[in-house]
Amino acid sequence: MSYFRITLMRSGIGMPLKVQGVLKALGLRKRMTTVYYPVTPDVAGQIMRIKELVDVKEVDRPLTKQQIRSSRRPDPGYYIERRGAEALNKYEDV
Amino acid sequence: MALLAQTLRRSFLETRSILPPAFLLPFRANITTVSHGQSTGTVTEPLIQSGQQVPKDIQQQAAASPDSTKPVIFSRPASQIQKDATPSPLTPSIRHLLPLLHTQPSHYLTIHIHGHPYLITRGDSVRLPFLMPKVKPGDVLRLNRATHIGSRDYTLKAPEAIKGTRDAVKQILYLDERLFVCRAMVVGIESEPMRVLEKTKRRQRHVKHVYSKHKFTVLKISEVEIRSLEEYEALLEEK
Repeated sequence: MSYFRITLMRSGIGMPLKVQGVLKALGLRKRMTTVYYPVTPDVAGQIMRIKELVDVKEVDRPLTKQQIRSSRRPDPGYYIERRGAEALNKYEDV
Repeated sequence: MALLAQTLRRSFLETRSILPPAFLLPFRANITTVSHGQSTGTVTEPLIQSGQQVPKDIQQQAAASPDSTKPVIFSRPASQIQKDATPSPLTPSIRHLLPLLHTQPSHYLTIHIHGHPYLITRGDSVRLPFLMPKVKPGDVLRLNRATHIGSRDYTLKAPEAIKGTRDAVKQILYLDERLFVCRAMVVGIESEPMRVLEKTKRRQRHVKHVYSKHKFTVLKISEVEIRSLEEYEALLEEK
């Protein structure tokens, strides 16, 4: 099953109320929000109403908000090699 | 007046004929094939081998030009010493130039913590712009993401970061973490002076004060070590 990936590129401010209603129905609240919907005729019709404002791509699987965020997060670049407390305990034992 | 102008012009032409082109002049004498770190004998060498700023085609033109009286050995531009994401990260340039980098006395690194670069060398203390979670003073951190390894004369650079598009996020390409060892110790936590923000509403005498005081983790770079070619090869074979 494939999905539409819909990203709002231009704001709906100043658009007719019907267009703004479609944006609200799709969950596109502000620019650059991305939502995923299954490929169905109803969603295709909704996209047709807002086609000037959005970027649409067909993808295989939807991503959750957490997945999108974690894919954007850079590598921490460090890991804890030794705890200072452990070293201190060892020192106290001796 | 005319005589003066002529003299000026001649002197200008002379300087131009004596000096190499401007892009070859050593305003940064750091990329050379000769080590002039401690030895005093090699300091008098002409330092016109700044390879970093010179594109390769210009270098070849300059090397092929007949008016170059003395043989000039160009070191390879540092940007060519690259590690790409191929299965075998040991490229010929690394094989050739890593020993030279390794023999130099001290090194610097550009490490990346949470995607932000920090230029460090051994003994530096770094005040991070955030409070690092789940660490305490005395903990030893291993920093394993770096984009540059450098010494006085050589720099090993990672490839440029890949810019993000609609379909792919930005990707920072790091050097192989087996090339170097960098450790930092958490020294303590620093805090800034209390900030007071005055919040006011119109037509009201009341002023609300908002206080904030941020804390920052301080690291001390305890170890910066570059692996030699033999060690690196052994580590590559291990895997």
